Amino acid sequence: MSIKNEVKRTYGPALRLAIVSMLLCGLVFPLLVTGFAQVLLHDQANGSIAHLNGSNGRSVGSYLIAQNFSSPFFFHSRNATLSASGVDPDITLQDALSQIRRISAVTNITRSDLSSLVSQNIERTSLFFGDGYVNVLRLNLALIHNFQTTYCSTPPLSYCE
Amino acid sequence: MGWREYFLSALIVNIFQMSLAFIIFVFQNILPLNPQGFPGLNLDLAFMQVISFATNTNLQHYNGEGVCNNPPDCYPLSSMPGLSYLSQMTAVQFLQFTSAATGLCVAVAMVRGFVSHSQNMGNFYTDFVRSLTRLFLPLCFVAALIFVGLGVPQTIGGYQTVTTVEGATQTILVGPVASLVSIMQIGTNGGGYYGANSAYPFQNPNPASDIFQILLMLLIPTSLCFVFGQLLGKRREARPIIIGAYSLFALDLLLAFIPTYGLGRGIEVRFGGFFSTFWTVVTTAVTTGSVNANLAGMNPLVILSAFMGMLIQSAPGGKGVGLMYMVMYVVITVFIVGLMSGRTPEYLGMKINARDVKFVMITFLVHPVIILVPTVLAYATGAASAVRVSTGSTGFTRIFYEFTSAAANNGSDFLGAAGNTPFFNISTALVMFIGRFAPIGLLLALAGSMINRKRSTEIGLRTDSITFTIVLVGSILLLVVLTFFPFLALGPILEFFQKRVNGF
Repeated sequence: MSIKNEVKRTYGPALRLAIVSMLLCGLVFPLLVTGFAQVLLHDQANGSIAHLNGSNGRSVGSYLIAQNFSSPFFFHSRNATLSASGVDPDITLQDALSQIRRISAVTNITRSDLSSLVSQNIERTSLFFGDGYVNVLRLNLALIHNFQTTYCSTPPLSYCE
Repeated sequence: MGWREYFLSALIVNIFQMSLAFIIFVFQNILPLNPQGFPGLNLDLAFMQVISFATNTNLQHYNGEGVCNNPPDCYPLSSMPGLSYLSQMTAVQFLQFTSAATGLCVAVAMVRGFVSHSQNMGNFYTDFVRSLTRLFLPLCFVAALIFVGLGVPQTIGGYQTVTTVEGATQTILVGPVASLVSIMQIGTNGGGYYGANSAYPFQNPNPASDIFQILLMLLIPTSLCFVFGQLLGKRREARPIIIGAYSLFALDLLLAFIPTYGLGRGIEVRFGGFFSTFWTVVTTAVTTGSVNANLAGMNPLVILSAFMGMLIQSAPGGKGVGLMYMVMYVVITVFIVGLMSGRTPEYLGMKINARDVKFVMITFLVHPVIILVPTVLAYATGAASAVRVSTGSTGFTRIFYEFTSAAANNGSDFLGAAGNTPFFNISTALVMFIGRFAPIGLLLALAGSMINRKRSTEIGLRTDSITFTIVLVGSILLLVVLTFFPFLALGPILEFFQKRVNGF
C-alpha cells in the first residue's frame, strides 16, 4: 500500500481519537479533580486563604503567597526579587530572629515572648532541610492574635475584627 | 501495524491534537472559562506552544498566570500573554497527557520489534487509549488530590482579590493547578501553570510536595527500564540499561554538587540550596524541564550538569524516548565492540547490519544538528542580541541552553516570556518537532526491521554483563562529550572559570 493511501485511511479514526482524548484529558479529568478537591479539600483547593482573627475575619491573602510588610511592627518578607517566584512566602529562622529586636523596640513586647512565638511557628522540615523556616504571614497573624491589645489599640494600627 | 503504519498513526493523531489545541490558544478570548479576560495568543506563539506541549518539551514563552508587574501584589495584573482556564486545561493539560501517552506507546512498540516471534509493532490506537485509561489518568487523579492536600489549588472560580494585612490590594492567582502538576511530572512534560514553574508556591508549596514531584518525575522513566527486560522475556538485558542510566545520573549529580550551596539569589527558602540543585539535576536527567529555582542564579557547574542530562537524553531520559535512546546507544556500543573485537556485532542474538548502524548514527546525529545549527543562526541573524542576552559566555549559555532544551524535549529555559519573538518561536518549534519525531521514526524503522530477523542461539557478545555496561557508559560519554565539547567550553565551562576569577 502506498504511503498516501495509508495516510488517508488514518484520518477518520485519528481525528475521532484526538477529539475524544481532548474531552477526556482536557475537560473531564481536570473538572473531576476540581469537583473532588472542592468537596474534600476546600481550603487548599481555593488557595489556602488566610483570615484575620480566625476563620471569621476578613481574608488578608494566602498563606502560600508573600505579601509586603513594611511597617516596623511586623516581620518582613524577603525582597521580592531575591526569590525565584517573586512571592516566596517564607523566611529563614535566622532572618526571623534578627527582626525581633526591631519589633520589640516599637511594640514593647519582650524579646523572649517574640522568640518563643517564632519557635512555635517553625514549619515542619524534612530530613535534608537543616535549620527550618517560618511563614511570614502565619507568623504575623499569630503576632496580632497573641498581642491584640498592642495591635488593636495603638494608632495607626487597627488589626482587629 | 507495521512500523510505518504505527508511526504515521502516531504522527497524524498528534497533528490533529495540536490543531485542536491551537484553536483553543488562538481563540481563548472568545471561548468560555476565561474569567481573567486574557486575549488570544499570537499565531507564532500558539504554533510554538502546541508543538512544545505535543512533543513533551514544554518550553514556554509566556507566563500562564499573566504578567505580575508589581510582585508580590500582582495588582493590577497585566494580561499579556496569559492563559485562560480553558487553555490551561483543554490545551496544555490535554497535550501533556497525549504526549506522555505517545512517548510510552512508541517506546513499547520499539521494544516489540526486538522481542522474538513478535508479528508486528502492535496497534497504536489500542496502546494509546490503554496507556491513558489504565496508567496516566488513574495515576494522575490520585497524585492531583495529594497535591491539593499539600496546598496546590484546584479551582475554576477565578483569581481572588484581597486586602493585605497592611492594606494593599493583592491578586491571588489560583486556578486548576493540581491537575496540571500531576501530569506535568508523571508525564515528564515539565510545563508549569505559572511562569516561575515549580518555584511558584501554589505549584510547589513545601518540601513534601517538592520531594513528591521529584519521585513522580523519576517514576515512569525508571519503570520503563524494567519493562524493557519484562517484554523481552530476558530481565538481565535490562541491567545495562538501568545501571547505565543511573551511573550517568550519578555522574550528573557529582558534577552539580562539586560546589556547596547556600540560600542564594533565585532560590526559594522552603527548598534551600540542596533541593534546588538536586531538582535541577533530576529534571534534566529525565528531560522533564520543570524548575523550582531560578536557573540564572545557579552555579555554572549545575548548568553544565543540566546540559549533560539533556545531551545524553537517557539518564534515564524522558518517559518512552529515554529508553529508545538507550537502546540506540546499546546498538552503537555493540557496533563499536564488534569493531574492536573483530566479530560481527550482535544484539539479542540478531546480527546488526550496516543498515542498522546507519539508522542509529543518523538518529544520533539529529541531536547535534538541530542544536548547534540554530544556536549559530541565532547569533548570525542577530536574534540573540534582540532578546538582550549578553555577548559573553553567560549569554551564549542561555541561547545554547534554549535549543538544547528544545531538541531534548526538556523544556526549561533562561528566556521564558522574553523568548516570545518570531525567530525563537518558529526556530524552537521546528527544533522540537524534529527532535521528537525524527528519532522516533528512525528508531521505529530500526525496530521494524528487527521483526522476524533470524536469531542465533549461540552466545556471542554478552550484553547483560557489567563489562558491557561499563563500555556502554563510556561510549555514551565519549560520543556526547566529543560532539558538544566546543560549545560547552564556550558556555558553562568558560562561565565557571570566569566566575571563579571574578567572584560568583
